[in-house]
Amino acid sequence: MKRKVSSIALNALLLILGVVTVYPFVWMIFSSFKENQEIMALEQHLLPQKFIIDNYINMNAHFNFVRFFLNSIVITVVITLIVIYTSTICGFVLSKYKFKGRNILFGFVLSTMMIPWCVTIIPKYSMIQAFGWMDSYKALIIPAMFSGFGIFMMKQHISALPDEILEAARIDGANEFYIFHKIVLPMSKNGIFSIAIFQFLWTWEDFLWPYLVITNKDKQLLAVGLKMFNGQYSTDYGALFAATAISIIPVLLIYLFFQKQFIAGIAASAVKG
Amino acid sequence: MKKRVFAAVVAAAMVVTAFTGCGSTGSSAGSDSKSEAKAEVPTEPFGDTVKYDPSVELNDGKDITVELWEWGSDELFQQIIDGYTAIHPNVTINLVDNPWEDYWTKLPLALDGNNGPAIFNVHNSYHENLINYMAPLDIPTEDLEADFNGVSAHVIDGKVYYIDYGMMTGSVYYNKDMWEKAGLTDDDIPKTWDEMIEVAKKLTIKDGDKIVQAGLNFNDDFHQNYLLGLNYQLGENLFKEDGVTPNVNSDAMKKVMQMLVDMYDVDGIGSKDFGEKAADSFGQGQSAMVIQWGHYYNTLKTTWSNIDFGVFEIPTFDGEPYAYNRYNGESTFGVNKNAPADQQAVAQDFVKYFLANDDAQIAFNLAMSTFPAKKSLADNEKILENPSLKVLSEHIDHYIWPGPMPATVETSLKKAGEDVFFNGVDIDTALDEAEANITKDMKNSTFKSVENLYEYAK
Repeated sequence: MKRKVSSIALNALLLILGVVTVYPFVWMIFSSFKENQEIMALEQHLLPQKFIIDNYINMNAHFNFVRFFLNSIVITVVITLIVIYTSTICGFVLSKYKFKGRNILFGFVLSTMMIPWCVTIIPKYSMIQAFGWMDSYKALIIPAMFSGFGIFMMKQHISALPDEILEAARIDGANEFYIFHKIVLPMSKNGIFSIAIFQFLWTWEDFLWPYLVITNKDKQLLAVGLKMFNGQYSTDYGALFAATAISIIPVLLIYLFFQKQFIAGIAASAVKG
Repeated sequence: MKKRVFAAVVAAAMVVTAFTGCGSTGSSAGSDSKSEAKAEVPTEPFGDTVKYDPSVELNDGKDITVELWEWGSDELFQQIIDGYTAIHPNVTINLVDNPWEDYWTKLPLALDGNNGPAIFNVHNSYHENLINYMAPLDIPTEDLEADFNGVSAHVIDGKVYYIDYGMMTGSVYYNKDMWEKAGLTDDDIPKTWDEMIEVAKKLTIKDGDKIVQAGLNFNDDFHQNYLLGLNYQLGENLFKEDGVTPNVNSDAMKKVMQMLVDMYDVDGIGSKDFGEKAADSFGQGQSAMVIQWGHYYNTLKTTWSNIDFGVFEIPTFDGEPYAYNRYNGESTFGVNKNAPADQQAVAQDFVKYFLANDDAQIAFNLAMSTFPAKKSLADNEKILENPSLKVLSEHIDHYIWPGPMPATVETSLKKAGEDVFFNGVDIDTALDEAEANITKDMKNSTFKSVENLYEYAK
């Protein structure tokens, strides 16, 4: 009986927390079907009093939404795939190879996570300018190819793989390249999914760097486009909510399909090492 | 699993495409887009003193491309670009729209290198960040002064880098329905602050002690719309004679602050706890009157279109003020001094085209709800059709621009007002602290007030 009561209480608490977390999101979705006047009205209603879809239809008045959306998809997928590969291979080397300076190298990787981005953004900008990469996707992809967090996560994850499996493969004549691609990569699936979700989300929502280095509107990304709704004196909330509602679809899909692996990956990286 | 992912991605792509009209742009934001109605191409020189001659060839007729960076009004800019490139088909101007806030991070970085835009939109609040990257205009200062008001305030060592095309200031916006319900007519439009308070009393509705409708609301923006402007009505500048020492702890400022306190506490025409933001409260139909700057006219037309509103000029203390209020200018474009010489030549020519072109001047002023700085447009019909501009027309020469003040002047006075209203600090102490704070923050600033250049300066 006592157990049942505590279970109900726990579920009720989780339900309340869930509602509190989800409510702003639901409010935004419903508000994307309201006029600005209703969004800013004194008397607030969750459901639109006057249902309109103009905010969705007029999204392109501020920028070419579909183009920005597709640019974001391409850049985010490319960076995520590269980071997955580089993180896994670095994690493999740092966890399964014993060499002089390994810990120092790992410490260096960790230290990159401790430097605030705002300290490095100006030198990074100057470098990109000097390389002539402004207004090119090279400026977005190349600096993002290695992730300190990804390497850290994958090192923790791959450390848990039994050395015996790798040794057995070596005895059977497999080279290191084969071992990495045919054994380590498939066995790190959960960790890879975790990194993929984190990296996808970070790249998808990154605003400042793409804004600084990309000027051509045919190459610009969605996170930058969303900022266009904020004017000098006012904000077009309806259109902003409509564009945001659509912009989160890819992130939602990623979570929806990979949440089990994501949780397993995070849990594994947290307890092993 | 793979099939599910694929199906979901396809479905999402369909939703995006369907909602956004198959990817067609609704605006003319594209750099290569042209207005549907072909722009009329002038062949004769036009303009007042600053003249633009369309027959002069640019870049020896060779193709050239420049960038123009701006924020917020891409259709407006595209219109003027289309007009210009119709005269000069060899010139391509790529318009780059930016979000307002972040523009000021990206622009100085770009101007510092070789890839910055040849032409860029300027706001005088970022004067100190931009001026070192700007080339002086290739137009004689006397010509600019002959055509535009307020040019002298922009002269630096005999050179002009940008001027104002429009002047924005505060006016009173009132809710016509509330006005009528209170039994007020056009004859009741107040000219003095005493009359304003009496009118506001009639517009205030209370349920016991609780305000249901505020006669006047100045919450959240009193510093901008009252403290930084009404001092001029009482003959006091914001800066002392040297142009750098703040003069905010003045008798005039104390009187204005006391008037604001009395309006809420003694006259009861509003409350610090009613209608958190004056501008929103007016739009939400809570408050009958607010003082707002010109941009509010556009906000009411777009966001609060259900409000039937009227506009009148800001009241004065005695009907004969030293100046009615402070104004701020909307600036003309900047020319990037680090851009290649051929691009700078196009940029200079484009600025001259903009200044000489009355249609562009009218379009920009109406879009921003600013009163034209171009003298010949002061009584232009289209301008006077806008009520927020019409109310300024009679006394437009009696408004002062103090110069591109550092943000600390505004923020320190806002804190002073909040201390008075919410923290029980007395007016003398609050203004004293504000003055000390401004002095400290401006230690390294190059700002010097141009209040002495006011036409009727004492």
